[in-house]
Amino acid sequence: MLALRLLWRNWRSGELKLLGLALVIAVGVVGAIALFTDRLERSLIQESNALLGADRVVRSSRPINPDWFPEAEARGLQQSQAVTFSSMVFAGEEMYLAGIKAVDERYPLRGNLVVNERAFAADGNVVAEGVPAPGEAWVDGRLLPLLDIALGDTVGVGEYELTVTRILVREPDGGNPFNAMGARLLMNLEDLERTEVIQPGSRVTYQWLLAADSDTVLRQGVEWLEEALGEHERIIDLRTAQQGLTNTLDTGQRFLLLAAVIGVLLAGVAIALSARQFAERHEDQVALMKSLGAGAGQVRRLYLTQLLVLATGASLIGLVLAEIAQRAIAWGIQSGFEVQLLAPGFYPYVFSLLTGVIALVCFALPALWFLPGVPPLKVLRRELEPNRLEASWQLFFAALAVVVLVALFSRDLALALSVLAALLVVLLITLGLALALLSLSRRIGASAGSIWRLAVASLQRRRAESLIQIAVFSVALMLLFTLLVVRTSMVAEWQATLPEGAPNHFLVNIPEHQVAPIQRLLDDENIERQPLYPMVRGRLTEINDNNARELDLEHNTLRREINLTWTDSLAEDNEIIEGLWWDDWQRSDADLPGVSVELDAATGLGLALGDRLRFSVGGLELRAEVASIRTLDWNSMRPNFYFIFEPGALDEFSPTYITSMYLPAEDKPFLNQLLRQYPTILVMELDRIIEQVQRVITQVSNAVQLVLWMTLFGGVLVLFAAVNGSLAARRQESALLRALGSRRQLILGSVFYEFAILGVLAGVIAIVGAEVLLMGLQLFVLEIPVRPHYWLWIAGPLAGAALVSGLGVAGCRSVVTTPPGKVLRELA
Amino acid sequence: MTGTLMVDARDIEKRVTTAEGELQILHRVSLSVADGESLAITGPSGSGKSTLLGILAGLDTPTSGSVALAGRELTTLDEEGRAKVRADHVGFIFQSFQLLPGLSALENVMLPLELRGVSGARERAREFLARVGLSERLSHYPPQLSGGEQQRVAIARAFASQPRVLFADEPTGNLDTVTGAKIIDLLFELNREQGTTLLLITHEERLAERCGRRVELTAGELQGA
Ligand SMILES: Nc1ncnc2c1ncn2[C@@H]1O[C@H](COP(=O)(O)OP(=O)(O)OP(=O)(O)O)[C@@H](O)[C@H]1O
Ligand SMILES: [Mg+2]
Repeated sequence: MLALRLLWRNWRSGELKLLGLALVIAVGVVGAIALFTDRLERSLIQESNALLGADRVVRSSRPINPDWFPEAEARGLQQSQAVTFSSMVFAGEEMYLAGIKAVDERYPLRGNLVVNERAFAADGNVVAEGVPAPGEAWVDGRLLPLLDIALGDTVGVGEYELTVTRILVREPDGGNPFNAMGARLLMNLEDLERTEVIQPGSRVTYQWLLAADSDTVLRQGVEWLEEALGEHERIIDLRTAQQGLTNTLDTGQRFLLLAAVIGVLLAGVAIALSARQFAERHEDQVALMKSLGAGAGQVRRLYLTQLLVLATGASLIGLVLAEIAQRAIAWGIQSGFEVQLLAPGFYPYVFSLLTGVIALVCFALPALWFLPGVPPLKVLRRELEPNRLEASWQLFFAALAVVVLVALFSRDLALALSVLAALLVVLLITLGLALALLSLSRRIGASAGSIWRLAVASLQRRRAESLIQIAVFSVALMLLFTLLVVRTSMVAEWQATLPEGAPNHFLVNIPEHQVAPIQRLLDDENIERQPLYPMVRGRLTEINDNNARELDLEHNTLRREINLTWTDSLAEDNEIIEGLWWDDWQRSDADLPGVSVELDAATGLGLALGDRLRFSVGGLELRAEVASIRTLDWNSMRPNFYFIFEPGALDEFSPTYITSMYLPAEDKPFLNQLLRQYPTILVMELDRIIEQVQRVITQVSNAVQLVLWMTLFGGVLVLFAAVNGSLAARRQESALLRALGSRRQLILGSVFYEFAILGVLAGVIAIVGAEVLLMGLQLFVLEIPVRPHYWLWIAGPLAGAALVSGLGVAGCRSVVTTPPGKVLRELA
Repeated sequence: MTGTLMVDARDIEKRVTTAEGELQILHRVSLSVADGESLAITGPSGSGKSTLLGILAGLDTPTSGSVALAGRELTTLDEEGRAKVRADHVGFIFQSFQLLPGLSALENVMLPLELRGVSGARERAREFLARVGLSERLSHYPPQLSGGEQQRVAIARAFASQPRVLFADEPTGNLDTVTGAKIIDLLFELNREQGTTLLLITHEERLAERCGRRVELTAGELQGA
């Protein structure tokens, strides 16, 4: 077949290698990311469902209808049951209101129970096999000091005695630490009846845990359940169960998708560029073929067949590369983190292959479309310009590719649109800015040394090409900057949730008379702690004498009781942005105590300085005047308050005290001592929750890093494609210059300057684009506050210059190493 | 000579619109070339020689007038139709050789045959390359060949598809005198053997003299001779 012979000849002469390589990379990068994110997503869902203990949980205040069990079984659902309630636990003279959970032997369906043989031990945690046997109980470490018992002792739950055999370190469905039900006691469901604690009217939650190996089975199961469930039952999935963690996971997934989209775009740019070069080189060839009697139809068929065969081959190779890459990434992560990644699904493979086709159709074909229409007369009149597809159409197809790929990949339109918008902005800005900057560089160049002059002259001579290259470099750099910033700020945000040494335990319910001794105890032990804040719970009832509930306002603070405090010193993460702190503040004529309001609450409630508020605290009335408005960091893990009053303002409302402290893992036994001395205070062990979140975040963050590297490779490929486009012309010029006696150093130097100028210009433009893109992403997709990235404005042009000039010089090395005689001869 | 007309052009005009307004390149040019005849078109640079050649060969269309090539009326055909006529009857030789740099000498000669789906393309190409004295250079690429050698490959390519009419636009324009003379010899030798009709543009007196007839184009008007 002629097309195949032509394909082989074109390949041999190197004309298709770049296009083929770009396609391989497109499919490879996209495939690797698609496959890997798919695996990660599946594993993350699995991992996070481990937090729920199941894929879905039906929660009810009444026993689950036993008729449903066989039905669920028939539908292929795995099931398990748990019953939770609060009950007194006795040991000798001691008793304690514990959170009890009775489970059957299949519990949990996802994730596992982690136990230890010692209380508050830093090591020795193991994954439990099964659940407590009948007659046994596994308990939260803090239950031991509370009941003054050791492992092996027995405790009474209702009418039944259980032997405490293990410390329960971690369980799925650990729940929200702030709704702490008291220390956990885990027992076997078989024993439940013998305790006789569940009486009509007891507050009990029945949980029916469900899981399925296939999404379809699960979905159909849930559909069936939604029909069957009564008003007492509720289906819980991860989203409802663990809001905070779900957000983190969503952000992580979005980031990976974003990286994948950017990878596609970079590969697309490389494909478009190499297709353009291919087309340019083939104009003469097509004109010749047509003068030899080939019709437009024949030419079209010949080229389409070549492209199709090329794309198929490249896609297959790309897919193999993708498979190898994703296996390598997964291997790295698995060996580093002892996590088991699930195998990828079928869809990413199909999607990767489709990427090759889409990339070819949308990026390569528009650039090649005019080829069959090249007039045969071009063999006689070389200056004849063929009817190229208008640039706007080429852009349209590229945009189409982006939308289609993003739609296929992420199903996230907001993401696609902000990427597109930023691309358009960049292209518009590029044209204007690049022209201006180019002429500026010429003016500077006129007064500079010879190397520099040569570089600027080269830029000017290839004005159109320079513009295109600047556009390409800026797009590539813009995407890379964006990725970098998004990653950095996201990782920073994650870490902000968990600062090093951040408080990881909350102590609440401290009575007034224990404040001083507890402070002393903590300080004697050198434990890093926050101040003890007095706290009363109250409800905001009136704003400026208007009933707060009747005002048309939406804010958390109106829906429930809120924590109120007073203090004379601001915590370090608090900052007054309006009004004055107590040192400078003066009561007004109304002589009301002052209150400092958190910004978000002030905005939500429409409060301004001087507004008068009325609170109801346990039936008593508390009035105050807004003295200042504050911002604070809700992620600081310190006690934080919407409303802070003037010192002493709450004294008559008998407050209890709250604080948070940092306790490293090895110091955890201190909790034994603390709780033994002050049994009534409540300790919330945030470190357990933090650890769970951190495990997930570490996984995602590492994956993100690898994805970033792969995308960077796509960017490098683009730069090479662009440099390659100008290589032939450069070789001629350099040969001429060298024939005329220029030293290699001079030529390489001018190449370096030329690309450095390109890089700086592209860097500047890229930053503008990246800021626009980031703004869109931060506002609409990631919901991170917008702020300029000053370091980018310095690092951008420098990085651009370094990267582009480095690659440019590397790409152009052959220009000075080929003997000039050979080049000049080829010219003839 | 069979007496039939291979090329028959009547009242050809060519006008193009440029930035400076309309430009008339050819003024009512009529020209006929008999089968087997050889014709030289001479004239100063910019007089419209290449434009005329392009129209006669069916690469371009006249603004008005009619052109018949090998008995087919070109002006009634679309580009696909003209391509068919070119494929069946026409060969070209260009000043700049127009060899594809990525293809070996042999492959360059094979290309028109392959495009036509001729069987035994490789053997035929080899034969013609031998005919122009390049048997030893079959697998060489154009950049590795001298200008004269490249033009010989182009001549082999033109004759290998055994066209009835050959158009040449300054075939010796890029060659030195000695090499040019050799190329001219080769061209006419093959032309005589194959009985091809030959239309060539040249600045060179030597070349024009060897043609059966010559016409001169000045400022788009034919000064017949
Ligand atoms: N499509 C076109 N648009 C504008 N000008 C044209 C076009 N085609 C030809 N010309 C002009 O018409 C004139 C004749 O061109 P042509 O190439 O036929 O000349 P020529 O006789 O072959 O010259 P030379 O000996 O230099 O090759 C030139 O001035 C050329 O610039
Ligand atoms: Mg000419």
